[in-house]
Order: sequence, then structure tokens, then C-alpha cells
Amino acid sequence: MAESECSVFLFSSTSAAIRAEKLAMESDFKVKLIPVPRHLSSDCGVCLRCDSAEVDAIRSLLESSRVEWENVRRL
Amino acid sequence: MRRLIDCRGLACPQPVIQTKKAMSEEEQITTIVDNDAAVTNVSRMAGKEGFAVDVEEREDGIYLDLTRIGAAPQTESTSYALAEGSTGPLVVLIPSDGMGRGDEELGSILIRSFLHTLNEVEPVPDTIVFLNAGVKLTVEGSLVLEDLQTLEGKGVEILACGTCLGHFALKDKIAVGQVSNMYSIAETLLGAGKVVAL
Repeated sequence: MAESECSVFLFSSTSAAIRAEKLAMESDFKVKLIPVPRHLSSDCGVCLRCDSAEVDAIRSLLESSRVEWENVRRL
Repeated sequence: MRRLIDCRGLACPQPVIQTKKAMSEEEQITTIVDNDAAVTNVSRMAGKEGFAVDVEEREDGIYLDLTRIGAAPQTESTSYALAEGSTGPLVVLIPSDGMGRGDEELGSILIRSFLHTLNEVEPVPDTIVFLNAGVKLTVEGSLVLEDLQTLEGKGVEILACGTCLGHFALKDKIAVGQVSNMYSIAETLLGAGKVVAL
């Protein structure tokens, strides 16, 4: 997965990021918790990286599980 | 005269210790071992000590023909570097599969973030040593495998404690770096210019 095809979900808390990672992995999305890149910022230090093509699917997964995120950004 | 050292049936780190001992007296040594880990460990040590290694598998064992081709630069340059107060190898010691104490889940995220970040910041460590539950990060299914493989691709030496892998029954699951022993680990730590211990 090239960096340019990646997006990240930003969260307001670490626990939300952890929940999001668990849910996404259970649904076999290729995601990875990484530190929030320096040029972005969020209240929480980690974010969930995913394939940009899967952003919409992950977004609805998080919505249906009521995990709140702050923002989605393309890397 | 070529010195013959029979290490068949000896557990690690004996083959390394016995071979190294002979190196102070001999220029040509043949060490006989009976397992792949011993081949790797003896060969690595021999390389560091300035010996060329020729591996020959025979029916009765694996023969390592060691021939001195240079001085042992590692030890000398390291102590010289330390005496000068300048930098020797940078070693990162990871003794756990989490970073910090307090909350395991948080610790796991922090260590994953840390190892990911090592690929993006300077300086790149020369060696990363994994001990105790830290070895779980180097085996199949580890969430940091990709990061560690990238680091290894950049030339970072990754050492996983063999005793620890054995303790967790993970020895055949190692997916990055090399199975190491306390002899190499102790030398790596003591010969370092700087050790960053988590």
C-alpha cells in the first residue's frame, strides 16, 4: 500500500482509536494504528491508517458501531 | 595448525563461547556444530572478529572452517570510541511487548507507534534487541512486523532472545531478525555507544 493511497481517521480519544482498530480488523480491513503525522494534529496521538479506497466502508462500520471520529484525512 | 572444536550436542551459547576462546590463540579453526542456530551465531561472531567463514554440511555435522582475514575491529573501535566519548553503535533494548506501565492496551499502542516512528526519524539504530515478552513483537502475527522488516531492510540488526522465544514457545514463529543468545546480546549492549532501554 503506497503512502499516497492512504488515509487516516483521526479520533478525539485513544480509546476510540482502539475500538475503531478492533472493529476494522475484525472486518478484515487492512488498517494500522500509527502516530498522528506531524503535519496533521488531533487531540489523540494515534490515528487509524487505511487504504483510501476503503474509507467509505470503514466510515459506515464506525457509524453503525457508534465510534466517533474527528476527521478523515488523505496522507 | 587448524584447531578443531567439536560443539556437537552443545547448547547455545557454548559453540560461540568455545570458538571465541580459541580465536585468541589460533588463526584457523574448524568448529563442528549440529544445528542452524549455532551456524548463524558462530558465523556472525566470527565475522565480527575478522574471520572468514566456510560452511560445509557433512553427514556427521556442520563444519565451520574459520580463517582469520583481519584484526578484530569491533572491540577495538568500540572501546576507542567510548574512550573518545564519541558514538559507538546505537542500540535499542525492548524488554516488553508494551511501552511503559499502567495500562497494557495503551502500552501496546505506544510500542507500535514507537517502532513505526523509528522508520521516520533519525538516527536509525544499529541494533534492536528484543527480550522477554518483547520477542512477541518479532513473530508471525505481530502488528509491527512490517515496521521491523522495513528497519531490517535499512540495515538495522534485529536480535530476538532465543531463551525468551523458547519460553513462549515461539521459536519457530520468528518472522524478522535473528534468534540470538545472551552472549551476543550482552556483547551488543556492552559494546554499544549508547543503549536506549525502554
